[in-house]
Amino acid sequence: ATVSFRRLQWSVLTPVANMGIGEYPAEYNRKVHGPYDPARFYGKADIPFGQVKLGQLGAWLGRRRITGLPGAVSRAYWSWQHKYFLPKKTGFAPFGQLMVGLMAFFYAINYGKIIHHRNHKYHW
Amino acid sequence: MLSRIASRSVQELRPILVAVRPTSTAAAVDKTEERDEVNFPRRVRPIEPGKVRMGFIPEEWFQFLYPKTGVTGPYVLGVGLATFLCSKEIYVMEHEYYTGLSILLMMVYSVKKFGPPLAKYLDKEIEEIESSWVNYREGSIANMKTSIEKEKEAQWCAQGEKMLFDAKRENVALQLEAAYRERLVSVYSEVKKRLDYQLETANVKTRLHQKHMVDWIVSNVKSSITPAQEAAALKQCFADLKALAPKAA
Repeated sequence: ATVSFRRLQWSVLTPVANMGIGEYPAEYNRKVHGPYDPARFYGKADIPFGQVKLGQLGAWLGRRRITGLPGAVSRAYWSWQHKYFLPKKTGFAPFGQLMVGLMAFFYAINYGKIIHHRNHKYHW
Repeated sequence: MLSRIASRSVQELRPILVAVRPTSTAAAVDKTEERDEVNFPRRVRPIEPGKVRMGFIPEEWFQFLYPKTGVTGPYVLGVGLATFLCSKEIYVMEHEYYTGLSILLMMVYSVKKFGPPLAKYLDKEIEEIESSWVNYREGSIANMKTSIEKEKEAQWCAQGEKMLFDAKRENVALQLEAAYRERLVSVYSEVKKRLDYQLETANVKTRLHQKHMVDWIVSNVKSSITPAQEAAALKQCFADLKALAPKAA
């Protein structure tokens, strides 16, 4: 009897699988939404942050869920890919952005060491 | 049969384009009435990427600040931020910085110099690959169309074959008729020959009979004529002649 590789994967990764990693979001419905787009949010549409009034800010922040963070990161990554990396005639932009991003990240994590190499002791 | 094998191989070899496209099994699902084409349109692969300035800053950030600060706004922001970071030495210009600066200059030069030719070369390669897929598909379609045309032509030819068969059938019928008539003629001539033979033999027989009979009668008569009868006949003939003679003179 042949066991499909997918079945094996899930049997090994069930604790992770319960978190919904590698599965479609719960609100995705193929009949309504068509092919799956990893850069889109398929839940209920909320007010975009740019249009939130100051009075609604508290309620808007209250609606955010920490469990949605991995999904948000994934969607941001995919939308960046769709915009800069996957078009047919990609330019230098993804390399440049990756370089600058990594430079900033590594500078940030090495900041404690770099600060000892300051050229002046006192600053305005 | 060969066309079916060809179409099956087309199915297996059809390449999967990088563009987000549904497979044939999902196509039926994607076309139901519930499909919300307005809010969730089908994603199209863009040709050009998003615009960036100076290699990494998205154009949208410049456009975002344009209404409030004009064209130079973001640059002023950048310069000001950089000045602040360097003067407060939050960004320490240590020896790694100068290394980075040199490398940056070399990179900028190489990108500006070798970027466009590389881009053109890669675009050509992509164009070749994609056009090979498209041409394969369209070539197969065109081939199918021409083979359909040829098939129709072959069917038309086959109809012509029907006329040929009729002609051949007629030809064979004519030959049969000719053979039949020939045999009829031979039968007739044979029968006539036999009948003629019978006729001839009958004629010969009657002729012989007659001749024989005549000869026999004559010979009998001749033999039955006695000499006394002969003398009396001769006398009678002389008397007749004498009777006739004075009439002639």
